[in-house]
Amino acid sequence: MNFWSQALVIARRDLRIEARAGEVTGVILPFAAIAVFVVPLATDTLTVRLADLGWPVYWLVSLLFGMSVALRNSATESPTQRRHLLLLGVDPVARFAGRAGAAAVLMIAVMSVTAPLMVLFYDPDGLPPIALWAGVVVLFSTGLAMLATLAGDVTVGLRARSMLAPLLVAPLAVPLVVGSARAVESVGRGTSTLGPLMLLVIADLGLAISAIVTAQPLEEATT
Amino acid sequence: MTSDTTRSWVNPVMGAVSVLAIGAGLWTAFTSAPDSEQGNFVRILYIHVPSAWLAFLAFGVTALGSAGWLIRKKLRWDRLAEASAELGVLFTAIALFTGALWGKPVWGKYWDWGDARMASTALMFFVYLGYLALRRATPDPTQRARRSAVLGLVAVVQVPLVYFSVTLWRTLHQPFTIRPDGIQMDSSMVVALLTNLAAFTILYVALLVARYRLPGEVAGTATVPAGAAVTAPNLRSEP
Amino acid sequence: MGDAVVDLQEVGYVVAGVTVLTSITLQLEPGEVLGVAGPNGAGKTTLLSVVATLLAPTTGSGTVLGATLGTPGAKAVRPRIGLSGHDPGLYADLTLSENIRLWARLAGVPESAADDTLARVGLAGAADRRAERCSNGMQRRVDLARLLMLEPSLLLLDEAQAGLDNSSEPIIDALIDRCRATGGGAILVSHDASRLATRTDRVETLVDGALGR
Repeated sequence: MNFWSQALVIARRDLRIEARAGEVTGVILPFAAIAVFVVPLATDTLTVRLADLGWPVYWLVSLLFGMSVALRNSATESPTQRRHLLLLGVDPVARFAGRAGAAAVLMIAVMSVTAPLMVLFYDPDGLPPIALWAGVVVLFSTGLAMLATLAGDVTVGLRARSMLAPLLVAPLAVPLVVGSARAVESVGRGTSTLGPLMLLVIADLGLAISAIVTAQPLEEATT
Repeated sequence: MTSDTTRSWVNPVMGAVSVLAIGAGLWTAFTSAPDSEQGNFVRILYIHVPSAWLAFLAFGVTALGSAGWLIRKKLRWDRLAEASAELGVLFTAIALFTGALWGKPVWGKYWDWGDARMASTALMFFVYLGYLALRRATPDPTQRARRSAVLGLVAVVQVPLVYFSVTLWRTLHQPFTIRPDGIQMDSSMVVALLTNLAAFTILYVALLVARYRLPGEVAGTATVPAGAAVTAPNLRSEP
Repeated sequence: MGDAVVDLQEVGYVVAGVTVLTSITLQLEPGEVLGVAGPNGAGKTTLLSVVATLLAPTTGSGTVLGATLGTPGAKAVRPRIGLSGHDPGLYADLTLSENIRLWARLAGVPESAADDTLARVGLAGAADRRAERCSNGMQRRVDLARLLMLEPSLLLLDEAQAGLDNSSEPIIDALIDRCRATGGGAILVSHDASRLATRTDRVETLVDGALGR
């Protein structure tokens, strides 16, 4: 069985489990929607323009709830489940790619729902072309999914995991946040779109290389 | 690297050398000429600049220790990474604190979002706080070495990107303050800066060696065979 | 004994400063079934994990199915090892059929064979039930179906009979007989030596991480 078919089997496993457990659609997504909704209520709208807060809130919510998606309980393999995969000879990089891929798909779903909500509640000035937004969301989700899956793997089985993994992810996710925010606003500002997109691509590549290099030792860490 | 724990003279000698070096550094820092624009506030930089330099050096050494562990699987590489990360956090904190102290009188505010270095240094501080938190949370030494080595490597790949992204962010958000370009440096100021850079580096090496040797001395008791080890308390000193 | 299925020489395992296994020397010849008895916490599960190549020995050396433990080459024999423990490791949200088909796909076994083995352990009627709604005994039988499907050369059973009813005994016998007949081997582990005696050729005792008769 080749690399991609293994990764695909693992990704389908995670998506099927999510379809049954509904942790993202039933819990994380509503919570993210509430977060988008609450910020205006905490804002003095007489002095602060909500339109200026829309995108920052969107990226913050995408970062925080994207981490929750990648670290969701229903995607955490038990030690026995990991042992089974090891003994079946599943390539550790394929296993990583499958899990990160499934997490990215779910993140894209969350960000596709929170985006129209943000536009509805904040009415930001000048929207980016849909294609640009979609491309940025894919690059952002891919990077964040890889980073959070890595952080989930180095914290697997630790009591402090639920807060430790996000602590590891948040500062390292800054290039993704900056690249995404700058790319989306570039059209309205007339600044370069290419620079921020390149930053996103480089960050994704860097994370992919990190994952390939560290998959082997990480696999040993989880037995 | 001195992994030989019987060399008991190392710590006192390194300690004495660093005390002398820091003494010399302080002397040059207080006797050098004041800056034409910043006045005596420039003296803060004799601590700030070496601390910032050591913050980057320390994290580089942590990455080196992480890579060393992943290749060689020897715990001494992990001890090097740990010792250096702790010092890195310490010097990053000093750099941030002294930077804020200097910024208030010179730039008019403690924190300046216009300076990419400040934001990326703060982010690096958080990255390595997380690194140390991961170490504290992992009880088994081999697991701790493996997991923190992975994180150390991921971090060292990402940190330059963090710096680059903050720079990209900054270029689009013009800084609020105009800072003096090209500080006119008196030769005594150059001497003070270089002396302090050297003194702080010596201090770093002394602390690194001392911290590196510490768990090794204790570990000797933690690997005695069978029954005794089961009840042996975990004497590893934590930060 | 280069052709032994398992050959451990003075193997020790230390984790977090705690010695779990001390100087374990044992051989498993082709066609042999070994029992290892010992109280809880004696290191039985750790011993099986070492033999399964999942944990590298911290001292000593060994080979399993011809591969040297603690080397990258040990990974190559993993698909030929069947390990079953207290926890069946099913995905609670997936049906029994989806669980075994997942393993089948990753092992390159046709899905029809997966369904067949599920029927062989008497679970054809429950194939579309989610694992979380099945009893522990049923889940353990799915785990045995996994071993039937994968046809391992080396069988490692950790407290195999625990939580299983009498109808599962023939399945375990079939698994062991197959290993014996194909020149593989099996190691059965239990805290109860009397349970091991009927199925095994010899029984070793593991106490505080060390073997002794």
